[in-house]
Amino acid sequence: MTSLLKWLKAQIIEAFKISDQVMRGKAVETINQEVAELDNIFGILVLGAFIGIPSPPIHITMELLPLMNKEFDIMLEKVLTAHDPLGHLFSVLGID
Amino acid sequence: MIPWATSFRYWVLIEMKMEPQLLFFIGKGGVGKSTSSALTSVYLAAKHYKTLLVSMDPAHNQCDIFEQEFSEKPKKVSETLMVKEVNTDFWIEKYLKETTNQIKDTYKYESAFNLQNYFNVLQFSPGLEEYALLLAFEDTLHKYGDRDFIVFDMAPTALTLRFFSLPFITLIWLEELLTLRSEIYRKKEIISKIKIAGREIEQDRVKAKLQTLIGNYEHLREHFMSDTTRVNLVMNNDKLSFSEAFRIRQKLLDISIAIDRIVINKVVPSENIERIESEFKDQKITRFPFLAGGLSGYAALTDYIAENDNSFQEF
Repeated sequence: MTSLLKWLKAQIIEAFKISDQVMRGKAVETINQEVAELDNIFGILVLGAFIGIPSPPIHITMELLPLMNKEFDIMLEKVLTAHDPLGHLFSVLGID
Repeated sequence: MIPWATSFRYWVLIEMKMEPQLLFFIGKGGVGKSTSSALTSVYLAAKHYKTLLVSMDPAHNQCDIFEQEFSEKPKKVSETLMVKEVNTDFWIEKYLKETTNQIKDTYKYESAFNLQNYFNVLQFSPGLEEYALLLAFEDTLHKYGDRDFIVFDMAPTALTLRFFSLPFITLIWLEELLTLRSEIYRKKEIISKIKIAGREIEQDRVKAKLQTLIGNYEHLREHFMSDTTRVNLVMNNDKLSFSEAFRIRQKLLDISIAIDRIVINKVVPSENIERIESEFKDQKITRFPFLAGGLSGYAALTDYIAENDNSFQEF
């Protein structure tokens, strides 16, 4: 009997943990998207010269470039998906 | 200021082992910046001050004035005087090479490979020339901080103004970028607090780099505005030179750099310089008399100084 109760307790705790994780994941989904957008804006501001947008004094780009591989990839990816902004927006908002 | 007071001020600054005195010679092309800076350097060195003359003009002509070859490595001209010519191409190449190596370390192979193509073009980017001058300037201060005087013979107006304003413009950009980066970092912190229950997120290297850069440029800006930096504006007594001197003063004031002295070069003794004196009331005025045939060779420079000792008293 005790072992059954213990098992039940463990199951409930596990279920709670999973639901907690799901809820936390859902709560930050939009902020995550916003951060990705801000990362992209930062990338464009600093590395715009690489996609044909006027950039800050070139030495700032050069100083930051070695540390910005992630932003560089995001920026290039955004350039490739730029023809379908609505599709991107719908996927952010979870509309199928 | 009377000469003995000037000397006393130098004596105090140097004896207290403060930073070297930086003298910039700026002005319109052809007014005699190189000659004025060479004469001043030779004069200071003759007074036993350890002096370094740095030519920052990409079209160097200190070699013609001293009648000897100079390079990036300072060359001893007299017991207390050394001369060097900044090679901007060397600095641009060095800088690009360092950045390329850092990129190879951090980027994925394909990205680094693609970036290489852009790099071949980047060396022709506008703005790199004045940045190269700034790198050379920092390097000079770092390596020759033990000198009493460092005299900079600057390029003509346009490049010089860009050089002086570079730290100011860069700081505006860096501060804006730091604001945005801090906002991104704050949001990432929120995400990590909710998602992984408060565990610390990794320190943002870009943000840290931005803060370091801001520190460096603030230091440079302070250098340009400090008491140990003095800007000498060289001009001739003619209309074009006067108008440009007037504009240079205004442009420098916009970035809070004041002109300390006006050097009127190639003055004929009977000439009237009232207009300059009344326009530049806040600046000290020094006259360098005209010498037919120009100056070349170390001996000619020392002879000129001996003949016109009064003009140099206040330096």
